[in-house]
Amino acid sequence: MFITPAVVVLLGLIVGPLVYSAVLSLYRWQLTQINTAKSYAGLANYRAMLHDGLLGTAVRNSVIFVVVAVSVELVLGILIATALTEITRGRHLATSLILLPMIVTPVVAALIWQYIYNPQFGTISQALTLFGHQNGVDVLGSSQLVLPGFMVIDIWQWTPFAILVFLAGMLSVPEELYEAARVDGAGKFRILRSITIPVLMPQILVVLLFRTMDTYRIFDTIYVLTKGGPGAASETVGLYAYQEGFTYFNTGYSMALGVFILVTVFIISSAYIRLLRRRQVF
Amino acid sequence: MAATLTAKPRRPAGNPWAVAWYAMVVVFVLWAVLPILIVAVNSFKTTLDIFSSTPHLLFKPTLVNYRNVFSEIDYTRLLANSSIVALGTMLLSLCVGVPAAYALAKLAMRAREWWALGILFTRMVPAVVLVVPMYVIFVKTHLIGGYWAMIFADTTFNLPLVVWLMRSFFSEVPDELESAAQVDGCGRVGVFMRVALPLTLPGLIATAILCLLFSWNEFLFALTLSGPSTQTVPVGVASFVGTVSVDWGGSSAAAVVAMVPIFVLGLCAQRFLVRGLTMGAVKG
Repeated sequence: MFITPAVVVLLGLIVGPLVYSAVLSLYRWQLTQINTAKSYAGLANYRAMLHDGLLGTAVRNSVIFVVVAVSVELVLGILIATALTEITRGRHLATSLILLPMIVTPVVAALIWQYIYNPQFGTISQALTLFGHQNGVDVLGSSQLVLPGFMVIDIWQWTPFAILVFLAGMLSVPEELYEAARVDGAGKFRILRSITIPVLMPQILVVLLFRTMDTYRIFDTIYVLTKGGPGAASETVGLYAYQEGFTYFNTGYSMALGVFILVTVFIISSAYIRLLRRRQVF
Repeated sequence: MAATLTAKPRRPAGNPWAVAWYAMVVVFVLWAVLPILIVAVNSFKTTLDIFSSTPHLLFKPTLVNYRNVFSEIDYTRLLANSSIVALGTMLLSLCVGVPAAYALAKLAMRAREWWALGILFTRMVPAVVLVVPMYVIFVKTHLIGGYWAMIFADTTFNLPLVVWLMRSFFSEVPDELESAAQVDGCGRVGVFMRVALPLTLPGLIATAILCLLFSWNEFLFALTLSGPSTQTVPVGVASFVGTVSVDWGGSSAAAVVAMVPIFVLGLCAQRFLVRGLTMGAVKG
């Protein structure tokens, strides 16, 4: 059978560990107790989640992050993709340059933006100096600016993805459709609302699905730059589950958090996938 | 995409909107590229030039940062480790995933769509949910700290990619070609090896490149499952970042060295990048 090896590997590497994790989330145990007997705690880890203020902060930050970053990427993506269809020269070069941020290693992106955000000599602070401000801003050290700061990094890296998906969709729309609308006297905004967006719906859903899933699990840049700080200002659910497991060694609790994340991911992604299947995209 | 990119302009040149569209594209390209350029330029500056609070464009380029990166930390080792993990993951994912993709595209089987959907869902599982149980399992099986631990972990996101992407390529192979080969006496395996695989070779190469790219960039599994001698490039670069006394020149040079291979790979597979990132849903 052609499919058997893949199913075996996926069962062994994904389903197996997930089930194992769900079982061990019912025990209260530490990372140092891997090879010793663990004490069964029933749903205690899950009950603890209800009273965990830090988890509340992490969920709130994650939701804000997903909603804001994905919305900006979506709108900016449609805008720049439209601009790319309208220009006649240099489109190929522009798309080649635009896609660079999304293949940059996330850790390297973190390093790049750490330099840009640096309060003393970073690009932003230097620009502020030029405009007469004496003190630079410490984006990553401010509890108000740190989350928007990470959103900007995500928007920088992943708007190109939205642009390229929309561009592919727009270039496959028959020109006659726009021509007919223009003959009927439709303006730019009307064309966008009545033609571009309905025709692009499958692409919009694809961008929403993948960007929602990937911003919800964001880890690399935040772990490298602030580890959730200052305070818990940039704490997100993925980072929090990691820290409970590998920083505080509360492995049982971390696995319960993992189950929580998995359930939310399943609910959100199956909703999108259902919509996409209705449009025969998947 | 190559054909559509040179599509005819939508309207005659010279209308006032044209300037605005060009300006928008130029501004966005600068926003995308400048951060990368800043780091590339910094990698050729001495620490003194980087720290200067007044920006100046004229400086004396130096290679000292590159020399430091390869002498002070064992960057060659990190590059080798990343290559081993990326190649291992790619081979495992392709060997296991390509036949499955073929079955899901072409063979009659019960609940074919459900199998495909199940595999799609595994792409949605966040790494952080998998890394905790994997760590425990790899400690118990003494695989922790070795290449296999990372290869197995990276396969969790590359295998679904291979299955869905190759499935979309296989589904474009005309059924008539396959039935013709079957009439000529090819079995199912023969059709797969002699007809379907050669016809999808460009797609297969693109899929392989994307596997390399995503493994190369992977951080969380590498951070948790690697040992002192098996650390990958992102883990090495991360050790530069986030500390108080950052060696800006050195870390910039390390970043540039990490980016060069992925830019080469990424631009080679450019035509298939969107298709890969959307699991074959958007053809690009």
